[in-house]
Amino acid sequence: MIALVRFRLAAYARSHRAVQPLIGLLPLLAILYATPVPPGAELGAAADSAAILVPVFAWAARGLLDSEPDEQRMISRTAVGRSEVAGGLLAAGAYDLVLAAVAMTTLVLRLSAAPGPAVLAAGACLHLLSVIAGVALGALTSRPIIASPAVSSMTLILGYLVMLLISMSGIRWLGVPLLTWMRDAHHGVLLAGLPLLTVQSLLWPALGLAVYARLRLTRP
Amino acid sequence: MRVANLSFRYGRRDPWVLSGVELNLGGGDVVEITGINGTGKSTLLRLLAGLLRPVRGVIEDRPAVVGYAPERFPAGQPFTVAAYLRHMAAVRRVDPRSVGEWAERLGMDHLLDRRLPDLSKGSAHKVGLAQALLCRPGLLVLDEPFAGLDTATRAELPRVIGEVAAGGGIVVVSDHQGDLRALPGRRRHEVRDGAVREVPVVEEPPDDLLDAAEPATVLEVRVAASKAADLAERLRAEGHDVRTVRTAVGR
Repeated sequence: MIALVRFRLAAYARSHRAVQPLIGLLPLLAILYATPVPPGAELGAAADSAAILVPVFAWAARGLLDSEPDEQRMISRTAVGRSEVAGGLLAAGAYDLVLAAVAMTTLVLRLSAAPGPAVLAAGACLHLLSVIAGVALGALTSRPIIASPAVSSMTLILGYLVMLLISMSGIRWLGVPLLTWMRDAHHGVLLAGLPLLTVQSLLWPALGLAVYARLRLTRP
Repeated sequence: MRVANLSFRYGRRDPWVLSGVELNLGGGDVVEITGINGTGKSTLLRLLAGLLRPVRGVIEDRPAVVGYAPERFPAGQPFTVAAYLRHMAAVRRVDPRSVGEWAERLGMDHLLDRRLPDLSKGSAHKVGLAQALLCRPGLLVLDEPFAGLDTATRAELPRVIGEVAAGGGIVVVSDHQGDLRALPGRRRHEVRDGAVREVPVVEEPPDDLLDAAEPATVLEVRVAASKAADLAERLRAEGHDVRTVRTAVGR
């Protein structure tokens, strides 16, 4: 499966489509870090970045999965069986982690004071949760699931907006609690509640990935 | 490998593409799938290859290693032929040296450094065949493998198919061109109206023996273009040598 992940990453990079999410990422980072992050606001900045970058990660994941022609996906499937689905998700996750590393590096470069290891680890954790949510959203809007590019793009954007709206409401456990990440980080209570927040943030992406894997059984 | 009571449709509201299909394929079988366009040949091949799941029925005892060459090889990929096949060899966990062996055998060793999007249709098709053959498959599924191939490769491919079968593999081929006629012992199944039925194969003597057995007559048949493929399939099923001579533009 590692060879399949490598093949898909190589195809995505060589097709130059990998540049497209970067074009979305870099302006967002420029806006987020237009001014240096003041001391004490490091975790809040990391949470803002993680929550805002979910659609970029989803876009990148969908782009990577869709860059492979349908017939090639079938060839890959006959080669590795059902692991083909996991191979695509891993490749998408790997590329999203590169984007997340760019975001974290930019954050660190724009800090006014050196952050503690706990803050850095929490920031990395939030970006990892954001990547997982993005991969799930990207996979569920990829071509085998939604054939129309227009409908797929609208669903991706709407999916993110619904995620935000739910996280603002009293039923935030029904989605990835993006705004809770931001609010808790800015109020300095994120580190204490991070384990529970991690579980809540993984629940729906895990369900989304399971639905994707299930749908792919009948949509090669 | 056994196919029992297989039925398939793409969606709940869609018509059945295949219904109640029964097949028994044993090691060494070469099965030719025929039928006019749009009858479900490619769907059947994808089901056999494990790419689609039967809506009803089961496919049992599919060999572990499956080689699949689609009707249209996706040539719009950003690799050279060699890089693509090396990736496929790695995915299949086979010796990358087999890339060169198959490239030579299929007459495309001079194309190894060529980019896939720059290939002609026939050359791209060879790449599709090569990736399916790299893994020494127990089940080889080829969708219209002769389309666009040059004469030398058209002659070589039946030998390759024969070798896979001789090694105990199952080969399933959809073939509109009739290029498998040189391969003895093949079975033929026709897909028609959602059903798959075995039709007898009349072994055709090689061209050089045809005159000695019985004098042959060449008939010229004028048929509506929309019915040509169907008629050709039926005549081939009866063992006749059918070649499309020309398509008339007007009367």
